Amino acid sequence: MVWNQPDAKVIVYDPQLCTGCRYCEVACAVWHCGRIDVNKSRIRILFDEKSATERYSAVNCQHCDDPICCAVCPSEALQKDERTGWVTSNSSKCVGCEMCIVACPLAVPFFDAELKVAVKCDFCDGAPECVKHCSSGALRVCAREEAVRFNERLFLGAKEAQ
Amino acid sequence: MGTTATRIYRFDASGCNGCDVEVLEISPLVPLAELGVEIVGTPEEANVLLVTGGANLKSRRELERAYAVIAEPSLVVAVGSCAATMGIFKGGYAMTGPIDAIIPVDLYVMGCPPRPQVIMNALADTLHLTVEGIETLLHTPQGFRGDPHVDQGKCIGCGACANVCPAAAIEIVESEATRLVRFMRKDCIFCATCRDVCPSKAVELHSGDKPWFRRKDASTSEARLERRTCVACGTPFLPDAQLNWAMSRVDEKLELGAGDRGKLQRSLNICMKCRRNSISEVREAKSILASLARKASG
Repeated sequence: MVWNQPDAKVIVYDPQLCTGCRYCEVACAVWHCGRIDVNKSRIRILFDEKSATERYSAVNCQHCDDPICCAVCPSEALQKDERTGWVTSNSSKCVGCEMCIVACPLAVPFFDAELKVAVKCDFCDGAPECVKHCSSGALRVCAREEAVRFNERLFLGAKEAQ
Repeated sequence: MGTTATRIYRFDASGCNGCDVEVLEISPLVPLAELGVEIVGTPEEANVLLVTGGANLKSRRELERAYAVIAEPSLVVAVGSCAATMGIFKGGYAMTGPIDAIIPVDLYVMGCPPRPQVIMNALADTLHLTVEGIETLLHTPQGFRGDPHVDQGKCIGCGACANVCPAAAIEIVESEATRLVRFMRKDCIFCATCRDVCPSKAVELHSGDKPWFRRKDASTSEARLERRTCVACGTPFLPDAQLNWAMSRVDEKLELGAGDRGKLQRSLNICMKCRRNSISEVREAKSILASLARKASG
């Protein structure tokens, strides 16, 4: 099954604009868990001061068109919403097999030891906290079409994108 | 003092009374007199002590007293999960330990609660009691849940069973090269949640087993799995079987091009820590996802 929702919104991350303040992580943790604990954040900012070319990077859910995590989930806890295109996890259905964490190349979902289930970015019901609190504009919500092109440029290079 | 050979005294140490109800149910079900069994009202008369529930601060003293006055040779039977391990009362402020922490236990009968037939069967088996037609009377129905058995060949070592087990009867032990999934018989309450959640259908509950034993550490079912070594940092992480299962599931559900599939296969050789902490690995992963997104959007 291939999803094709050009109007669906996704979060894109621009490493050129990121300042590494990690405020997105804090905002995410506060929204989802009610406390300031970046280990509970569904987004993760990486910083490498030694690198000349790639100083910042983010582990954030791409809300894929054909999500690998949903494909491997044995309990149908992970679903892609047909209307919005968000990939969300149903904690009541999750059995904690960690298969989604294993299969996602980015390892976006992570195992919450308190809840004993895998948790991941759920798009905060349409208004992502990380985006709201990103002061530099590195994180933004845009249409899927645009995000796909942006990521192609960034990760596949102009040549391959042709 | 009674004249029957087996005189049972039931002691409620502190449980939910579930086991006590099951013990009560024995007499209408089984011809006790024919078996030479009698249920008595005081420990002085008895030579079999059936204990239900884990011991708490108040029952502990009474339990010790009952054990002291019971006729020899005696048989102490811990009935139910709480008697063996304190079950759901584990960690309670008033709990002073499972029964065997207070007095020596000869026989454990498992279940939450065990069926009256099982309790009687355990007694009959241990004390060699028999009467015509007892097997039919005490038989276990087909499909009744017994000890969980994990199939070493099917288990992928994901640990979902250990995460959902309400009795904490399953432990995951990781060593350098392997991951061990161990089912502990003494804790199991036969709820079958492990069987229901197992992604690879590796767990089965055998109804034919006898859910009683004399040694607490007696039989456990276990599966040992080889762990894969991360190609980036060189440390072992998850079981090979789990990663292969994920890949086969991807093949089953998604149609990936050869290039993307190869890249995904490679990403399965990298541990979660490296995937989440290394900028180059994140770039690699995002390139896989970007390539998949491009194909999907046409």
